[in-house]
Parts: sequence; C-alpha cells; structure tokens
Amino acid sequence: MTTPFNFQPLELPAELLTLRREVRAFLADASSEWTGRDVGHSWTGFNREFSLEVGRRGWIGMTWPKRYGGHERSGLERYVVVEEMLAVGAPVGAHWFGDRQSGPLLLRMGTEAQRERFLPLIAQGKAAFCIGLSEPDSGSDLASLRSRATRVDGGWRLNGRKVWTTNAHLCDVMIGLFRTGGPAETEKHKGLSQFLIDMRASGIDVRPIRDLTGEAHFNEVTFDDVFVPDDMLVGREGEGWAQASAELAFERSQPDRYMSCFPLLPPAMDKLQELRLDDRLAERRLGESIAEMVVMREMSLSILGQLEAGRSPGQEAALVKDLGNTYEQRMPELVRELIDAPARINPDDRLSDLLGFLTQTVPTFSLRGGTREILRGIIAKGLGLR
Amino acid sequence: MSEDMNISDILTEQIDRLFSNEITAKVWAAAEDGNFATALWQEITAMGVTSALVCESAGGAGLSWVDVEPVLRLCGRHAAPVPLGETMLAAWNLANAGLEIPEVPLAISPSVWQLDVKGRVSGIDPLIAWAPQLEYVVGVARSAGKQHICLLRIADIQAIALQTYERIPAAKLNIEHVVPVQIGDAPHIGKLGLKPHLATLRSVQMAGALDRILALCVEYGNTRVQFGKPIGKFQAIQHMIAELAGHTAAAQVAGLYACRQIATGIPADAEFGAAIAKTRLGSAATRATAIAHQVFGAIGVTDEHQLHYFTRRLWQWRAEAGSEHEWAQYLGRQAFDAGSAMLWDRLARHAAA
Ligand SMILES: Cc1cc2nc3c(=O)[nH]c(=O)nc-3n(C[C@H](O)[C@H](O)[C@H](O)COP(=O)(O)OP(=O)(O)OC[C@H]3O[C@@H](n4cnc5c(N)ncnc54)[C@H](O)[C@@H]3O)c2cc1C
Repeated sequence: MTTPFNFQPLELPAELLTLRREVRAFLADASSEWTGRDVGHSWTGFNREFSLEVGRRGWIGMTWPKRYGGHERSGLERYVVVEEMLAVGAPVGAHWFGDRQSGPLLLRMGTEAQRERFLPLIAQGKAAFCIGLSEPDSGSDLASLRSRATRVDGGWRLNGRKVWTTNAHLCDVMIGLFRTGGPAETEKHKGLSQFLIDMRASGIDVRPIRDLTGEAHFNEVTFDDVFVPDDMLVGREGEGWAQASAELAFERSQPDRYMSCFPLLPPAMDKLQELRLDDRLAERRLGESIAEMVVMREMSLSILGQLEAGRSPGQEAALVKDLGNTYEQRMPELVRELIDAPARINPDDRLSDLLGFLTQTVPTFSLRGGTREILRGIIAKGLGLR
Repeated sequence: MSEDMNISDILTEQIDRLFSNEITAKVWAAAEDGNFATALWQEITAMGVTSALVCESAGGAGLSWVDVEPVLRLCGRHAAPVPLGETMLAAWNLANAGLEIPEVPLAISPSVWQLDVKGRVSGIDPLIAWAPQLEYVVGVARSAGKQHICLLRIADIQAIALQTYERIPAAKLNIEHVVPVQIGDAPHIGKLGLKPHLATLRSVQMAGALDRILALCVEYGNTRVQFGKPIGKFQAIQHMIAELAGHTAAAQVAGLYACRQIATGIPADAEFGAAIAKTRLGSAATRATAIAHQVFGAIGVTDEHQLHYFTRRLWQWRAEAGSEHEWAQYLGRQAFDAGSAMLWDRLARHAAA
C-alpha cells in the first residue's frame, strides 16, 4: 500500500503520569501571578527566574548526559514537560532555544570543550541562547546570506547583520550562521559555518525592533569586526548549512507549533459557560478544535518516536508545522466568533488580555521557523512534484 | 505479537493485490447500478478476511482493530464496492456475543434499537448501506439499561430504498416488533451502540479514499501539461496538493487513532476515538474534495473519470454514522461538562487513572 508518509503511533507509557503531575503541580503554583499577556507569550516569554527554577527541578537538558549537567531521561519525559509548559503558556523563552536547539546541536556537533562549557549552564537555566540565521536580504532564501566570518590569527572576524533575532537583547550566546567560503552566487549552500558568539563581545550592536504588539522581542544585530576564537566554531567549517537544516527538523514538529494558542481555550470555555453561550454552535466549534488538537498531537508524538529511532522525518515535520500553524492561527478567530469579544484590551480580564495579544501575534506563526509557502514547497518536493 | 503483525501484513498485501486487479471503473459502475459484486465477494471470503477480527476460539484470525486498520483503509483506497468492513465489524460483534456468524455479507446498524419484554426489537435506521441487497443486519438493542447484539433478518423489516451520493444500494429500516434470529450480550458495547465502530470504519475508509485522491493528484500534476510544462510545476498547484497531503496524513493518523481506542476495550475510549476521527475526517474530506476537483479541472467532474467515485464516497461517508458536526458537538458538550480545568487533561489522554 503506497502512503507517502510515515506516522507510526507512539503511546506515552503510563509511568510518565507521575512526572506529568509533578510538572502540573509546580506550574499551578508558579502561574498564579501571570497575566493574560504573559500567558500569550508562552514559549517566547523570557523570565530568568522561572528558567532557573525549571533548571533546578531538572527539566532542562533532560535527555543530555549527566556529565554535561543533563539528566539522562527519555525524550518522552522531555515531551511531557514541554507540553505541560505550553498548555499553561509558561514563560520558557530564556531556556527554550538552548534546550530545544542549541544544546542538541552542541551535543551532536560541538567539541568536548564546548559541551563542557555550555551544556551545564543551559541545563541550569543560566545561559540563554538565540538563533542567528535570518538577514535583511536572506529570509526564506536563507542560504543566500552574506554576513561573513574571515579567518584571522587565533580565530575569526565577523562582519554583517542578522535580523529578527528573538530575544537577542536578553541572551548570552548566539549560534550564528556565517559565510566562511566563497560568495553566495557561487557557493550558496557550501561555505557556511556556525559559530558560538558571546553576545557581550565588542563590536556587537543589538538594536530592538518594535513589533505591532508594541513590544520589542526581536532585534537587529550588527557585527563590526567581532572576534570569535577558533574554538567557538561549531562542527566543521563549511558544513553549517547541513547542520542548521538538521536543527530545523527538531524545531518543526514540536508542540510549540500547534499549542501557542491553546491557553485561550480554557478561559474562553469559562466565559461561554458564564454567559450561557455554551450552545450547539459553541459545542461544535470547541469539539472541532479538540479533534484537530488530538490528531496533531498524535502526529507530533509519532515524529518524536521517529527522531528517537534515529530517522529524520523532514517531510512529516513540515506537514505537522503547516497544519499546526493553520490550527493555532484560527484560535483567536474561533473565540471572537463565539464570544463577540470587543476589540478592547482589559488587563484585568485575562481572556481579553490574552485574546488581544494573540490576535496581533498569530500572523507570525506561519512565518517563524519557515513560512507556510516554504513548508508547502518541501512537502511538494517530497511528493515528487518538484 | 510479531506473529499477529505478520498475518496482518500478509492479509493487507493479499487484499491490496485483489482489489488492484479486480476493482475497475466497470465494477464500480455495475455496483452503483445495483449489481452486487458476487465474484469479488467470493474471493474476499475465500481469503478468510471477513472473520479477521473474530477471536481464534470462534474460528477467526483473532486480529485487533489496529491490525486490520490497513485492510479497512484499503476498502476506501479502492472504493471497494462490497460491505467488507461492515461484515468484519458484524462478525466481530456476533462472535463477542457468543453467536454464530452467517457466511454471507452483513449490514451494520449505527442506531440503538429497543428490546421489549417479549424479546422483540423495534427501532428506526435512517440509512443502512447495502441493506437492500443483504439478508441480515447486525445491531444493538437495549432493554433495561443493558445492551444486546442482535442479528435481524432484513426480510422481516420494512426497508425503504434510498438514493445516496455514493449510489450504493441503501435503505431506511423501520423495525417493528421483529424477533431476532440471534441475540446475545454485548459487554464491550456502550450506550451509543455500534455507532462509534461504524464511525471509525467510515473514518478509516475516508483516510483510504483521501490517500487515493492524493496519489491521483500527484500523478495528474506530473502528467497534465499546460503552458508547456506539467501543471505540478506551478507553485499554486504544488501548494494545493501539499495542503491535501496534510489532510491526508492527519486523516490516516485520526483513523488509526480511533482503531487504537476501540482496541482498549473500554466503550468510553471507543466513543472518544470515533468522535475525534469522524470530526477530523469530515473537515479533511471537505477540503480534500474541493482541492482534488480544482487540480483536475473539468475532466475531474466527468463521469468517465474515476475521481468522482472517491469524492462521492467521501461526501457519503462524511455524513454516515454521525456527521463531523454531530460528533464535534458530542466532544464539545463533554468538554463543557467536564469543565475548563479538565480540558488539557482530557486532550493529553494521559491521566486515565
Ligand atoms: C516572531 C518571529 C521570530 C523570529 N525569530 C527568528 C530568530 O530568532 N532567528 C532568526 O534567524 N530568524 C527569526 N525569524 C525570521 C524568520 O525565520 C523569517 O521571517 C522567515 O524565514 C521568512 O523570511 P522573511 O521574513 O525575510 O520573508 P521573505 O523570505 O521575504 O518572504 C516574504 C513572502 O514571500 C514568500 N516567499 C519567499 N520565497 C518564496 C518561494 N520560494 N516560494 C513561494 N513564496 C516565497 C514567503 O512565504 C512570504 O510569504 C523570526 C520571525 C518571526 C516572525
């Protein structure tokens, strides 16, 4: 039977319930002060204190070896922690990128010294990482990037500009992709390399970019002869493209690709019941949302299983992100449809605060981590259409 | 376990080969004209697949719903014009109730009938596929809060023939005081009777039909030339088909999910799984049929083209055994009743205790 994708189911073992309950109890406590807007930020919310606490509980770098400050727990255990955090919109941004992307990259590609230095800090919630890929002229066409690393005595000099770098102004380290070989015109995917960059190095200028919500969570980062020592090259020189692409498979299938708006649903249900609007329409719309979410979670779990088994389900991950983004982008609309919420943000009313923030934020969901069009291109290619 | 996997794989492969060889547009057209595909049915029964779900002690293969899911999906992938899934489901229920399984194709009722003190069954079934051509229907009757599996003779029932989108023979059944041919206990069946099971079957069939539609679209995209190149080279077409692929993948996962829930043996699980799958499959079918007809242009809506055999079945199955809207409402009501604090817990399905 020909089916073009693989989604073998993965069942979470019952033993993980204990962990789930622990995380839930912790979050019930920690969340008492969060506003609607805080909750709306979810995995982009940056809160060092919170990350330190999560680190103390052993919930960052969970799967990493103990000698690097990890906890040698399973990917499934990590998954449970991740989805519990997202279900309540916890502010995990200060450790998220390190835990999800940079740490695993260093484990696979980093030198022993890099691992020993950075992994324990990430796991404790002490080192915040940002991702330096996009540039003003290189978004979807990322491999056309021009920022350059030039060899000098004992290391490299970085020059150029990165943009849209989430939380760069708050982070300690950037993993940046720079051109080390020939120009983009001749060596597009070749000649790119990744570097660990100390965000306090001289020559780095971080300029906040205010977005439509009135906040400035991403930035433009300018590099003016920034020195990076030799031992901060990640992996092999010229292999940066393959390394960065592998990172993306992890990024694209995780619960943060369909749960960003989930925290809207419970308060919306409360409001509907309070206003006695939990009628047939509301039941149907809520039910649709539940069905879609359960199926997406099954797909995401399946991909986790495949990654754990050492496969690289790039096509499946692209499918999940595309479906997931569409799903989470619909959520504020769903609430508007059912509740007739006015376009007013009332910080004392959790639902209005959360809805206001998310309505303004959801357009980014099908941009970040690869646009919908790029993902559909990947899917079409996998189907043999390109 | 690995032995089961083997039987299931072999069965799937055999059925796929049989369907690929035997099911043509001519066979579909004949079935829709009211000619039962007797030759095809004989080959199917010869393979023993109709009793695949029946436990070994009752003479079946003892496979689980998860094991037979690929075969049920094939019924959709080939738009098999025979009640194979229905018969498997009926046989499984008869065997579970300790009843004998007639060696003929069987219809399945998603309604719950009433059983009176004299042991007679009454009820209404708005639409039963295949009923006009079959001898028996299997369903659930309730008396004093207890469910029973019943085998009824269709000749004993007033059957009013209906027209449907898929044009397979179907009827409305008015059951009035009919004495069952056989009756037995139904321990694994909840208050919704066989509706969740039929909804699951239809969901898995829909996943198969979507899979076929996706394959047809990819093939057409690579062969139909306009403006000097295959239309699949146009990004607009690529993106439509990519979206179709997303729905197809979700459909497959949803159908299998529902089978896994039935396999736990807990009626509430079977109901939840069916509700999730039927709801998700309904929206997938709606979007997928629109995309497929767009990709195929005018040729896709012609009678000569095979596409409509799949799109019409998707529209049919979408409505049977509870539409996506009805099941969504069921899910939504349950969620409201449990309260917002339980929503995540119910979605995560990991706190059953
Ligand atoms: C909230 C947010 C956070 C982000 N955080 C980071 C970060 O931390 N680090 C980082 O490096 N980047 C980050 N990004 C950048 C993000 O990865 C890019 O926005 C994204 O890759 C798209 O690039 P672009 O914005 O330049 O759009 P463009 O590439 O200019 O695209 C514009 C439009 O053209 C379409 N398009 C482009 N090429 C094609 C094509 N071949 N076929 C069809 N359509 C095409 C796109 O889909 C899009 O609709 C973030 C973005 C957002 C919104």
